[in-house]
Amino acid sequence: MILIGIGVVVLGFVISLLSLGMASTVNGRLVMVLLGLAVSLFGIIGVINRAFLKNPIWKR
Amino acid sequence: MKQSLVLVGAMLALMAGAFGQAPGAAQPAAAPAKPITDVDLKSVETPKPEARAKGDADGSLTGTAADVAVADAKKGLTIADLVNQAGQNKIAINFVWTLVTGYLVMFMQLGFALLETGLARAKNANHTMMMNIAVYGIGMLAYWMIGFSLQMGGVGAIANLGGTPPLSAEHAFTLFGKPFGVFGQNGFFLMHNGTNDVAVMVLFLFQMVFMDTAATIPTGAAVERWKFSAFAISSFVFAAFIYPLYANWAWGGGWLSNLGANFGMGKGYVDFAGSGVVHAVGGLSALAIAMVLGPRIGKFTRQGKPQALLAHDLVLVITGCLILAFGWFGFNPGSTLGASTSGNLRIGAIAVNTMLASAGGMMSAMLYMWMVYGKPDASMTGNGFLAGLVAITAPCAFVNPVGAVIIGLIAGVLVCVSVAFIERVMKIDDPVGAVSVHGVCGIWGVISVGLLADGRSNFGGAWNGVNGSVTGLFYGDAGQLVAQLIGVSTLIGAVFSASLVLYLAVDLFVGQRTSVKSEMEGLDLPEMGALAYPEFDLASRGVEV
Repeated sequence: MILIGIGVVVLGFVISLLSLGMASTVNGRLVMVLLGLAVSLFGIIGVINRAFLKNPIWKR
Repeated sequence: MKQSLVLVGAMLALMAGAFGQAPGAAQPAAAPAKPITDVDLKSVETPKPEARAKGDADGSLTGTAADVAVADAKKGLTIADLVNQAGQNKIAINFVWTLVTGYLVMFMQLGFALLETGLARAKNANHTMMMNIAVYGIGMLAYWMIGFSLQMGGVGAIANLGGTPPLSAEHAFTLFGKPFGVFGQNGFFLMHNGTNDVAVMVLFLFQMVFMDTAATIPTGAAVERWKFSAFAISSFVFAAFIYPLYANWAWGGGWLSNLGANFGMGKGYVDFAGSGVVHAVGGLSALAIAMVLGPRIGKFTRQGKPQALLAHDLVLVITGCLILAFGWFGFNPGSTLGASTSGNLRIGAIAVNTMLASAGGMMSAMLYMWMVYGKPDASMTGNGFLAGLVAITAPCAFVNPVGAVIIGLIAGVLVCVSVAFIERVMKIDDPVGAVSVHGVCGIWGVISVGLLADGRSNFGGAWNGVNGSVTGLFYGDAGQLVAQLIGVSTLIGAVFSASLVLYLAVDLFVGQRTSVKSEMEGLDLPEMGALAYPEFDLASRGVEV
């Protein structure tokens, strides 16, 4: 699950990077970069952190 | 009517007097400038040796034409000698400025050590101090061997330092039809390809202490539970690869800095002194290690409710914060890499912006805690102070004083909200608030350039190879904001991920966390073999000391 989360975080970065080639206007790039950031943040908070919290030390 | 005309005439005469000569008034013909020749220099008197031998109490005999080095003693002082001396003086000023500000940044290591140790419990004080001194040595050697080359090996000539020609090899690939610089290739061991060079040495010292600041940030989030051997390996790899790669993309001539030149996005990614390169890199790496390590025993109840594990010395905490603020006067103004070149006289404005933002951060954090929790919490006031400094680090050269205060005020509130979110929602134990102070507020600092840069700075008329001044969204350039956001996306997507992979790999092979027994006992004895405060500790256990 952690590895999947890392993949999601990297995917967000790739989306932002692709904005350089796929969008030619500032607004288009802005939308893609914000989308990429949202995906990366979901990867950290929603996937990776959740995976680490599955068996936390305080429940052992 | 006649009286009115006389009055108007008198007023015009007065105005003419007040504003000097009216346009078009006859001016005395200026004498043509007479070029100075070597012959003129022969007539310059220098102090007689016998006068100098009596001492120079008022300083009028020291630092004269006699001190200008001559190339040929037979010819004596020439114009060429003067010009060479002027060039050497300019570079000497910049060398001294960069070195002294670098020494100030090095002094920040003490601030971090005191801050982190004060926020830890007494039984971990030796371990925490040791991490802060060890990261300096470990990080420096890794950076000397590998990191500096990857970061700055292709930066090209830095005019402020007299050019750094040996640093001229950037590895790049082509993407979307444009070159993407990814790492430098010259400078391994400061010997490779002519990098044993006076200007390169100055640059190395300055960049090394910046890297060290970033490398020490994760130790704060990992305090009281990081196995020392795992810390050492992780810090080495961080200093050799993770920090230098992002720093190359932003500062070393890499792809982020060229977003303006290659894709027309503002002046490219702009991070003057490192809100992103130093602080967000360190803060996101801190997030990764805090996740891998998990919280300290006792930090959360079985229901997951956070508990306060009290700091053992708030005096150390506030002392550390003030030392860091002092060091920041090296961090930000020093990032001009000189005091004697076009635009470098903004060092005063940069220093003032730095202190204004710290005041804003401190005030808003203090007031926030006071209003929300009833008391002006000392550690969070200190964190707000640092949050303002972290946030202003990227925009300090490009915003006006009002912008600096706004950036600081927002950072102070942001750090309070972020600390609560990370602890209560994400259930991550970050004993010193490193993720919030450096990660979150570092990212805010990067974004703030894209919003509040006022387009009034002028560092030689261009930035990152794009003519004009750095200008944010509120002053008319939305492209700059997008460039900054791509930098943020890279920090989160690439730097955080790489850090997490590093820490997981070290965890797999070495184990990142100390044993439960060591953690309960405190890491000073099991990990370091000595207590930081033996008298207090042994006395509390009933041992006579």
